[in-house]
Amino acid sequence: MKKFLIILLSSILLPVFWGCNREQYSGEPTVALVVKTLNNPFFMEMQRGAEDAAKELELNLVIQAAEREVDVEQQMQIIENLIQRKVDVIAVTPSGSRELIPVISRANQANIPVIIVDTRLDEKLLKSDGAQISTFIGSDNFEGGRLAGIYIGERLNGSGKVAILEGIPGHETGDSRRLGFLKGLEESPDIQIVTSQTANWERSLGYNVFENILQSYSDVQAVFAANDLMALGALEALSSNREAENEVIVVGFDAHEEAIEAIRNGAMAATIAQHPYEMGRMAVENASRILKGEEVPDEIPVQIELITKASLPDL
Amino acid sequence: MDSDIILSMSDIRKEFPGVVALDDVSFELRKGEVHILLGENGAGKSTLMKILSGAYQKDQGQIHLNGKEIQILNPKHAQDLGIGIIYQEFNLNPHMTVAENIFLGREPVNRFGIIDEKKLYHSARAIIQDIGVEIGLNKVVSEIGIAQQQMVEVAKALSLNARVLIMDEPSAPLTKHEITQLFEMIRRLTKQGVSIVYISHRMSELYEIGDKVTVLRDGKYIGTKKISDINRQDLIKMMVNRDLDEQYPARNPKISEEVLRVEGLERKGVLSNINFKLHRGEILGIAGLMGSGRTELARAIYGVDKISAGKIFVRNKLQNINSPRKAIKLGMGFLTEDRKSEGLVLVLTVKKNITLSSIDKYLRFGVLNYKDELKKVNHYIESLRVKTPGPNQKVLNLSGGNQQKVVLSKWLCCHSDIFIFDEPTRGIDIGAKAEIYNLMSTLTQKGVAIIMISSELPEILGMSDRILVMNKGTIAGELTREQANQEKIMEYAIGEPGNYN
Amino acid sequence: MMQIQNIRQFGTFIGLLVLCLLFWILSPYFFTVSNLLNIAQQTSIIAIISVGMTFVIITAGIDLSIGSVLAFSGVVMASALHAGVPIPLSILVGFSVGYVSGTINGLLISYGKLPPFIATLGMMSIARGSALWYTNGRPISGFSDSFRFLATGDILFIPTSVWIMAIVYIIAHFVLTKTKLGRYTYAIGGNEKAAILSGINVNRYKNIIYGVSGLLGGLGAVILTARLNSAQPIAGVMYELDAIAATVIGGTSLMGGEGTIYGTLIGALIIGVLRNGLNLLGVPSFIQQIVIGAVIIGAILLDTQLKKQKE
Repeated sequence: MKKFLIILLSSILLPVFWGCNREQYSGEPTVALVVKTLNNPFFMEMQRGAEDAAKELELNLVIQAAEREVDVEQQMQIIENLIQRKVDVIAVTPSGSRELIPVISRANQANIPVIIVDTRLDEKLLKSDGAQISTFIGSDNFEGGRLAGIYIGERLNGSGKVAILEGIPGHETGDSRRLGFLKGLEESPDIQIVTSQTANWERSLGYNVFENILQSYSDVQAVFAANDLMALGALEALSSNREAENEVIVVGFDAHEEAIEAIRNGAMAATIAQHPYEMGRMAVENASRILKGEEVPDEIPVQIELITKASLPDL
Repeated sequence: MDSDIILSMSDIRKEFPGVVALDDVSFELRKGEVHILLGENGAGKSTLMKILSGAYQKDQGQIHLNGKEIQILNPKHAQDLGIGIIYQEFNLNPHMTVAENIFLGREPVNRFGIIDEKKLYHSARAIIQDIGVEIGLNKVVSEIGIAQQQMVEVAKALSLNARVLIMDEPSAPLTKHEITQLFEMIRRLTKQGVSIVYISHRMSELYEIGDKVTVLRDGKYIGTKKISDINRQDLIKMMVNRDLDEQYPARNPKISEEVLRVEGLERKGVLSNINFKLHRGEILGIAGLMGSGRTELARAIYGVDKISAGKIFVRNKLQNINSPRKAIKLGMGFLTEDRKSEGLVLVLTVKKNITLSSIDKYLRFGVLNYKDELKKVNHYIESLRVKTPGPNQKVLNLSGGNQQKVVLSKWLCCHSDIFIFDEPTRGIDIGAKAEIYNLMSTLTQKGVAIIMISSELPEILGMSDRILVMNKGTIAGELTREQANQEKIMEYAIGEPGNYN
Repeated sequence: MMQIQNIRQFGTFIGLLVLCLLFWILSPYFFTVSNLLNIAQQTSIIAIISVGMTFVIITAGIDLSIGSVLAFSGVVMASALHAGVPIPLSILVGFSVGYVSGTINGLLISYGKLPPFIATLGMMSIARGSALWYTNGRPISGFSDSFRFLATGDILFIPTSVWIMAIVYIIAHFVLTKTKLGRYTYAIGGNEKAAILSGINVNRYKNIIYGVSGLLGGLGAVILTARLNSAQPIAGVMYELDAIAATVIGGTSLMGGEGTIYGTLIGALIIGVLRNGLNLLGVPSFIQQIVIGAVIIGAILLDTQLKKQKE
């Protein structure tokens, strides 16, 4: 019976572990990247970037994720285990802006530098807990919004009526995108913002809110949605609305797969692409710099890009 | 070899870890005969039949079918060889119709692979007509009676061209009338050349339906006789090697004051106008056919089922018994008919079952005192002679007789003095039966009052001081020990009492 | 049969040791005092809710709501803390929410005659919805150090949460083996009809058992909230499945009537050790899930094989 159990366990575990524990570059430091989940293309890209950078820099890289994106406690456990394992740097895309702060303190105590990627931590709580992070690497949402503003300004030749679909108010990401957009429009002073309303990041609300906007402002010429889901909702509202006489320019954010498709077939004008690959790459590169004792800035913006039909590669 | 012999098993041996279940057993079956397989529980009848139906593999010995030696690999293989078995627990899907059950897994399909309902019902009808019974093919199995379900099982076996049909205690769940129908069907089948292996304990049936009888005892072959050549007493001797008369203890009842009185008890649609008294030291037998309301009466008194009218007095005090808990507090103990599903927690140990209802007695400030508990449990294991390797054995592994003793111990732990035994010896072998009877007798000597429900008339006659006969939910007659005999009880039970009182 | 039961427990224990041995050989970081304490701490929450699950499963029931109940009692307790209610009182409020939710499960099952699967499936949604509604979907964060001590502090070098887990297990083992409640728990699961006919007030004990399961969800919430310094309405998603897995790996039969508390502890530790060890080895996340699933199936397979052998 005992034998049976041992054989069972070993036969399951041994082949799996074979090679998992082999450090590729023996003697070199190990960097850990803990993402929210690995069943999202965004984080898979990030993983690819990190792996490429690790290969170039000849660093050991461990990538881990919780089974469920919302399970911040499991993410915490993973980080605790990585502290036990004495990895040299931990990079994290936090599943919770506040919940991970205690474990970051523990990493500090173990003298393991922490890099935060993509999602910001709660600054106030971070400070009150005395936790330290080495740097934040993330998209510059403000810059993305600005690019969208410039694009719409150019498309409308400097004058026209524009609507904005906001994210949940008070959400750092959405606010930055909206403020950036307004900044980008400053170069076209004749453009008028007719309305700016929230659609809670949701597609169905994007549809409803934009349909209402079309009722009140049938002459609206362009709309900027703070994410692609709301932009896609707005597109659906447009296609079912007969009263909109002129073509409406729809610009979203995130380079969602469906949005790219809509841009390709001409329904949507543009979106802003983040570069998760770059995030992963920069996380590892900066980890390497920290290990060498070099200074890294408190915040490292990741390049962001406007995508239009013209910039898309042909299929 | 006799060409009539369609099946023969010779020198069959089967061992289980630690037990020889069958030791050189032989068995021959002729075409068209009803061959009774007789033996106490644990004699090896079921094991032998399970080998024949492919559920077990023999260790040694040969099986010949139509003169050719065969190996029966699995139940499916047995079916293909034309051997069908009907267990006590039916293998039917309760949510499907009769016809669907008969052809379950072998439904005729049309060329699109869709079940051909018309053909299905047509074939089912042919088989049912062959058996000569009336069953609605469209009826869902859960809505038909036990007897009819049994017929469906038979039909299923026949649809597989069974030439040998094994029936394991087929009459046990049936009423008298249904048994008559069963026998008619068996006779029709044998005329068609089907051979029947019939397992049963009921002596009277054997003489009615059997052609030959083979007796097993303790896994050994004792002998095969023509039914017409052997009488009851001799058969029983073959089975137990002991005279039957000894099994009922000579009782010397000391019947004193009344402990229980039931007045005008009624449970709508089930029980009506029931009146009786029970006294200290008395065994009150309750006889009646299946479905006459005997168990229902016990459940009503014991507080399991709500009564719609009537009064129950315990020791001359009117009581409202609304739960088994209340009944137990009043000193009642109920030994249910079905020990496995109602009387015992099979996965728990002997100890835990024995103290289940009296756990409060072993609590000290809410904490169980294992020592006290074990002492009490060992006391009953010894005094009732419960055959178990120890108090921590799961009751699952005990024989029927010992399980009954465990249930009895449970109530003795509560110091119960009104016992309701529902079929106290069902599924218990003859040796253990005598022990149970002795225990009941001893209990009454100590002043306990017993209500004993039983379908076995000899048991009722042998044990009771007084006998109530139930029919259609009410008490049809009351007989003293002296007045009673099988015929009188039967007449009350079927509702045509003669002028005996 | 008692022996078989012991062998079964013994088998799981051997499994745990083999697992530890394997990780010890493969990773130099595994067998250190700090990592073992780390595992104990990480296991504590699942281990605590698994205790309630064990009681429930021994009665042949199931509690699917425990993860959601944990979240709900967590956010209510957190809001009490934020409102300035003293810590012990706030914790009591959290416990009450858990106990009441659990008792509602019990009432639905005992008097409502609902199958436990359905009743607790409903409660799973109700408690989760209540937690989200109560907080508007936002976590409640930032607590005093003395509250956070409950998860992050040490007493005699051992994390507080591990002490709490140990105490819960000692009490639970005692209750299950040495009290009427424990004895009845087995009897109800082993054969409910027989339990009723033996005079056990089955409904009442079911209410207590489901109530206690919810209460332990509240205790899990205290540790989780202190650990994350935040009470999330989305906390504890699918914890019920981990708890069921720990219980079943530990030898408790889903058919009821059989099971032990120490078995469940071993089950919870097996899951905890696996997660930890696989992290230490840097095994890719997807493969970790496969391994954990395989171990659960392996453990149950072993159980059924043993039972078959016995027959």
